[in-house]
Amino acid sequence: MPQNVIPLPDDPRYMDLSYPEQGALTEEERNLDTLPPDQRELARKFWQAVKSDFRFNEYLRGCLNCGVCTSGCPAAKFYDYGPREMIQYMMRDAVDRIWEFVNKKVWACVQCYTCSMRCPFNNEIAGLIMLLREYAVQFALPSAKEILAPYRRVLYTVLTLGNQVTPDMIQPEAFPDWGPQAVEESKNMDVYRKAIPVDLLQRTDIGWHASLQTAVELMTIMFESGVMDAIKNVDPDLYDMVSDIYEERKSQLEEIREKWMNGELKEEDLPDSWLDL
Amino acid sequence: MPANRVLVIGAGPAGLSATKELQALGVDVVLVERESYLGGTPKKLKYSLLFPELRPASEVLDPLIKAGEAVKTRYMESIVDKVQQEGDNFVVTIKDKNGKTYTEKVGAIIAASGFEHFDSRRKYEYGYGIIPNIYNISDIEGMLSENRLVTTKGTPPKRVAILLCVGSRDATVGNTHCSRVCCAVSIKQAMEIKERIPDAVVHIYYMDIRTYGLMEDKLYWKAQLNYRVGFIRGRISEFMRGPNDTVVIKGEDTMNLNRALVVPYDMVILANGMELGLGSKQVAKVLGLEFEEHGFVRPMDPDRLPVLSTRKGVFLAGAITGPKTISDSITEGQAAAIKAYEYVSKGIWEEAPRKVAAEVVKH
Repeated sequence: MPQNVIPLPDDPRYMDLSYPEQGALTEEERNLDTLPPDQRELARKFWQAVKSDFRFNEYLRGCLNCGVCTSGCPAAKFYDYGPREMIQYMMRDAVDRIWEFVNKKVWACVQCYTCSMRCPFNNEIAGLIMLLREYAVQFALPSAKEILAPYRRVLYTVLTLGNQVTPDMIQPEAFPDWGPQAVEESKNMDVYRKAIPVDLLQRTDIGWHASLQTAVELMTIMFESGVMDAIKNVDPDLYDMVSDIYEERKSQLEEIREKWMNGELKEEDLPDSWLDL
Repeated sequence: MPANRVLVIGAGPAGLSATKELQALGVDVVLVERESYLGGTPKKLKYSLLFPELRPASEVLDPLIKAGEAVKTRYMESIVDKVQQEGDNFVVTIKDKNGKTYTEKVGAIIAASGFEHFDSRRKYEYGYGIIPNIYNISDIEGMLSENRLVTTKGTPPKRVAILLCVGSRDATVGNTHCSRVCCAVSIKQAMEIKERIPDAVVHIYYMDIRTYGLMEDKLYWKAQLNYRVGFIRGRISEFMRGPNDTVVIKGEDTMNLNRALVVPYDMVILANGMELGLGSKQVAKVLGLEFEEHGFVRPMDPDRLPVLSTRKGVFLAGAITGPKTISDSITEGQAAAIKAYEYVSKGIWEEAPRKVAAEVVKH
């Protein structure tokens, strides 16, 4: 090749429209060609799943490309992320871009819904983010696993007790964003907690008082509504753990109920909390 | 046959041009105007220059106002309170500001009560009326024509941002229409500002520039060629009060950055769009007219009979049927006048054609 000729770039998008002998790509292939071959099928499946969700066409209406969503977005101020970007990828069926987006940027959103409120086209933008995240969890994408790892304990308490955070969960490795102050305070959390003069259970391992029956009902809801199915792929260990707890507590409750029905149990013998059992 | 007498509601460009034509055709005109002066919104807000020719507004309006002044039966500071059908004629009750009522019998009515500017306070995130140095284009017209374009500090602004589509093309305030003229007016104002303050930085934040037709080079190109007005593609999301009475904007340069853009300006101008005001709504209610989906009055047929209303004997002109330029309004005033003349002199009233669903072959 002569020295003064600039070679064509390898990216086929520079060539696809020029001449048939250069190998024009179909629209579908072009939307995938920046991804490694082993990810293409999964990316396509993922996007199909999101698109066929019943909420998708309600949430995505159209886009004037005005940028109000990105300019009002608190996350866009700090990260290389913008809601308009996502809307544009979705409008153009850009599977590869969506795949990149869902593997990293989608987790920058703080779900404040400012974009949804201000969008002049009435798109439910934060809802679309939620949709992508839901399917990222269902598909157990590595980014979802990574993001959810510190929340394993939170999920555990939500699923079994119904409240998110207990005071003893403030740990530096799990929540660096809570700052050094919170970590410092967490060292003597037990003592602080006991000294609070109002009834906060005065303990650090639970946040509220869930009776055995409440806990079983909660877990039943979690199983019946498909929340547990969503977790199954992304955190199988947690799924197994909660399943075991559920079975155990359920039989415990049955046992107590049976005794109570048979008159073998007095009212004062009934346990207040399943943690006391 | 209806009487050879026409009631014109509203003395803006549309109403006055209809008045002028009707007088020339020898039809008796009754003119009702809510304000104490003739000329309508252009007069009220003291429009400076008119696009695209950049000529003083008075040059266009004064001949019309003169025609309005020649009308003998003129009710200023009055509104139409009641309209009753009496055969082919209308018996109209007109109420003045003291509550005194007058009755007029007319053969036809031209409703030309026009629009009102969108109240920018409804876009609460823009802080209009709360943050100093944020103005509407409707405020700026008066400042330009009176040569007092200054910020709250009393000095001319050195950095100006103009935001288009305030209250138009925005489902969050329920206005999904384009107000048609704001692009042209904003660019015209940008050029007027640069004419007065040559070293000022003027940025127009836009989604699309709609200087349609012959205005493209006269405004959009000229503003860049001769005045170096900056065009930044993106809609501003919110304004904040900056130090020293500046206004800090938060937007996105959708062409380049894909990032939030936070920049201070001395003055911000909101290009607020057009809506059917309360005045026109009252007129429509009194006359028993229908509204279309954007809240404007529905003409009989927007393509074939744009100046006929859905009620026999009532004609429409100007911004009552949708956002219009001054020249459009004048044209419609003339069209409504000739239609009203046909009606009162020969009894001609056309009906809308039957709507036929377009046949589409689905492949």
